[in-house]
Amino acid sequence: MKRKFYLEIVLGLVWILSGSEVLGLQPLYAGQKNHKNARADFEHIHALGIDADGRTLFLGAHTGLFRRENGGRSWQKVALPASTSHPDVMAITPDPKNSKTIYIGAHEAGVLKSADGGATWKEINSGLGGVDVHGIAIDPNDGKLHALVRDKGEGIYRSTNGGGKWIRVDDGPGGEVKGLYSVNISTGMGGIFLYAPTAEGLKRNPDCF
Amino acid sequence: MGGLPANRTVNGFAVVDPKIMYVAMRDGLFKSTDAGETWKRTGGELKNLAAVAINPKKPNEVYVATMDGKIYMSADAGMKWKKQQ
Repeated sequence: MKRKFYLEIVLGLVWILSGSEVLGLQPLYAGQKNHKNARADFEHIHALGIDADGRTLFLGAHTGLFRRENGGRSWQKVALPASTSHPDVMAITPDPKNSKTIYIGAHEAGVLKSADGGATWKEINSGLGGVDVHGIAIDPNDGKLHALVRDKGEGIYRSTNGGGKWIRVDDGPGGEVKGLYSVNISTGMGGIFLYAPTAEGLKRNPDCF
Repeated sequence: MGGLPANRTVNGFAVVDPKIMYVAMRDGLFKSTDAGETWKRTGGELKNLAAVAINPKKPNEVYVATMDGKIYMSADAGMKWKKQQ
């Protein structure tokens, strides 16, 4: 009886200490509780992106979107709209000309856009044939967007008004595509090149479909 | 695209100056300085890379993420790397 009592005290102490910084468990628990220093939540990282001012590093993972400011050490989980039931963030595309504008592609939520540096987000999927978005490319010259959709509605979609409306323009590289990037190399045909990392290597195609 | 491991998955890609590109692969980090014509492995022992990004304000500052969630940063365009967490 006495022994059990002592055991309970010891277990109680362990429980109290494990909830504090005393046992050095703070980063893990902090990540799960309030999303500060949320490294413990990273798994299946898909994307990294830095805003146009070079201040905020965004990280996209199976568990959502995270941000870190000014080369600091602490990560914060970014709140996405409640309708984004499965926030598997596949692509992060900061607007190179406007540090406040960030686009992300999510596995089952399509394209989301923030116009306030990542504080609030809106789904912009009008015209997209599906919501499994694995890449978003932004033309550094005119801000034109290309989104890569997989599975349902597979293909490349273009928007010339910041994602307000998408139009399907190409079948895309097909297969397991990991992203889509506009690269400012002239094709000589009035456009630039799109690059796509894929399961079969790096592919490129002129964007003037 | 000479110099990249053949028929292997490319997980991540980053470019700011169109001549200078990085790709993140399970085999490590590869860099091209001729707009993707030829590639060379950089980043020493870095492996199992999921993603790469370049700071647009400081193009020598490059970040990579490993598949198991570690972040490394290079301040000299991919020569030396420091684990960030």
